[in-house]
Amino acid sequence: MATRVYLSNDTSARAAGADQLANAWSLDSEIQITRTSSRGALFLEPLVERDGTNGRLLWPLAKPDDLPRIKAGLGGIEISKVPFLARQQRAVFAHFGMAEPLSLANYQATNGWRGIERAAGLSPDGIIAEMKVSELRGRGGAAFPVWEKWDIARRTHAECKYVVANADEGDAGTYCDRMIMEGEPFRLIAGMLICAKAIGADRGYIYCRWEYPAAAATMQAAIDACQRGGLLTVDGKKFQLEVFRGAGSYVCGEETALLSSLEGGRGMVKVRPPYPAVAGLYGKPTIVSNVLTFATVTEIFSRGAAWHASLGTARSKGTVALQLSGRIKQPGLVEIPFGASLGEVIEQFGGGMADGAQFKAVQVGGPLGSLFPASQLHIKLCFAEFHEAGAVLGHGGIVVFDHETDMVELARHYMTFTADESCGKCAPCRIGSMRGRELLERIHNGQGTAADLALLADLGDTMKATSLCAHGARGPYPVLTAIEHFGDEFQKKLQARSGHI
Amino acid sequence: MSDERQRPSSHETARGSPPTGRQPDMTDQQQSVASVIHSWHMPLARPNILKALLSIQEHVGYVPPESIPQIAEALGVTESQIAGVLTYYPDLHTHQRGGHLIRLCLGEACIANRGMRLLAELTDELRIGFGGTTIDGRFTLERVYCLGNCGVGPTVMVDDVIYGRVTGAALRTLLQRCQGGSQEPAS
Repeated sequence: MATRVYLSNDTSARAAGADQLANAWSLDSEIQITRTSSRGALFLEPLVERDGTNGRLLWPLAKPDDLPRIKAGLGGIEISKVPFLARQQRAVFAHFGMAEPLSLANYQATNGWRGIERAAGLSPDGIIAEMKVSELRGRGGAAFPVWEKWDIARRTHAECKYVVANADEGDAGTYCDRMIMEGEPFRLIAGMLICAKAIGADRGYIYCRWEYPAAAATMQAAIDACQRGGLLTVDGKKFQLEVFRGAGSYVCGEETALLSSLEGGRGMVKVRPPYPAVAGLYGKPTIVSNVLTFATVTEIFSRGAAWHASLGTARSKGTVALQLSGRIKQPGLVEIPFGASLGEVIEQFGGGMADGAQFKAVQVGGPLGSLFPASQLHIKLCFAEFHEAGAVLGHGGIVVFDHETDMVELARHYMTFTADESCGKCAPCRIGSMRGRELLERIHNGQGTAADLALLADLGDTMKATSLCAHGARGPYPVLTAIEHFGDEFQKKLQARSGHI
Repeated sequence: MSDERQRPSSHETARGSPPTGRQPDMTDQQQSVASVIHSWHMPLARPNILKALLSIQEHVGYVPPESIPQIAEALGVTESQIAGVLTYYPDLHTHQRGGHLIRLCLGEACIANRGMRLLAELTDELRIGFGGTTIDGRFTLERVYCLGNCGVGPTVMVDDVIYGRVTGAALRTLLQRCQGGSQEPAS
């Protein structure tokens, strides 16, 4: 009998060479390759697995000529011996790396539908009461209590309502939504169906960025499979679900811009209120939530709201999905309860700095997040501490920069990004980001003055205070925190010019 | 739903030819756009401009600006609405791009892992900047803000394939394979 070998089909596994292994071994009749979701241990990719007596055996960083060893079962590492995985407390990502993403049978076998079965027995009020007990807050970045949003949409009367999954995961350094869509697409669908029942919606959309072609294709295939299986129903009525492809605009991750884009228009931000829960897509009550939020809803109804509320800190309940990347030894997905310190996560899971690299700064929360120097690594990963520090956890992206990073160049990059991606609706963001970029280009080219630096700080404060959405209001944060913590680098660029004179 | 009226099929004229018929002053691109429009089943009460433009781009390769009046008429919206959407999205293009699309990820994780060195490599090799197309029309270079491949960066996307942990040498190999027209994936 052929030996079963597991290989992830996740984008990052393929980018690291999983397809080359699959191609090289495809004609070998002694093995049978099963393509699975990703463990999230990206530093081990391409990772080959086999069933062992104590769980899976792992062959990390595999090469085509490793096959004889794998067939003979030589040199495999027991999964429990990989601290990166063993130390995590996975819930949403508990089954990642195990099964074929598009197998309904596999999903059923892991009790994937248990959440939706339990929700089916509850009234809309009952579902929202559970959500309230769970204390789940939106995972996209805004951290708004989910039950409150659902309750508003439920109480708003309309002939049709919508459920929209925000799969415009644009924060650089984040990839957990992509992993969910590619790895356990049924989990997202289940969460959306529970929400649809709670608010009384009969139609849903998954707004997926074009940069995630594999995620969009997997979601579409999963929707088709559910349709064939008669699973896309709410209270016995058909629920229409569609994947909508974005076209490269970062601001479309903001909910009002996303809805404008979903309607086919320019992805421009709108003034709130009214909030989408009252008047969203085509003016109808709409719940827009992040992919990870819906995926967590599925888990909450499966394990019970009390389980969710028992994890984390006083005001941040449940687990946080951290996505580590940059100059560390072990980039990958880490799911743990809220409350660990930033430094602990970088050391214990990230494995410390990559060979030859010295820590300089870490960015948390994507391009709208803040930069932290070594002296601030004690900060706890929870909404409250980040809020106090004037920072955001955002979508859980953690990017580590090393000693070779030019902070002025990095600041210029951030402001260029803010300017490139501004939707143009409000002047502080549209014009502010452009002027900010020009100032940083001048400083970077050694032509800046001390007055430019002061003007940049002033401009940042104006953008923070007056922009319409988080893009303009938070865009200056990485720049301002770079100046705050690495001011000498900016000063040196200015001094270069005065020295010349 | 009541607003989901389908485009009436009685609109069709001879099989295979667009409803407006071939007009002598139409360019080849406009003809292609016309046949895409012909295939639409767009709800008339709620035309989706972005979806419409993406479907044209998928078939024609880009959205010819001279087709804006044609598209506006088909969707029952103004030309400025079409132009507004067309110019808003980075992934909607108004001109033909090169045979191979090279997209360099400029997300922070890739920058932390020296992704900008790959830009120097690419501009050296191709002699073009972001948005540029080589004179022979073989390559177009674009930047992309994060492909979600942060754990195995730096990342380059060549046509539809995403490559991770890309070194300068691997990048040169990738470009050479494109030049040779080979479909083999790079290691």
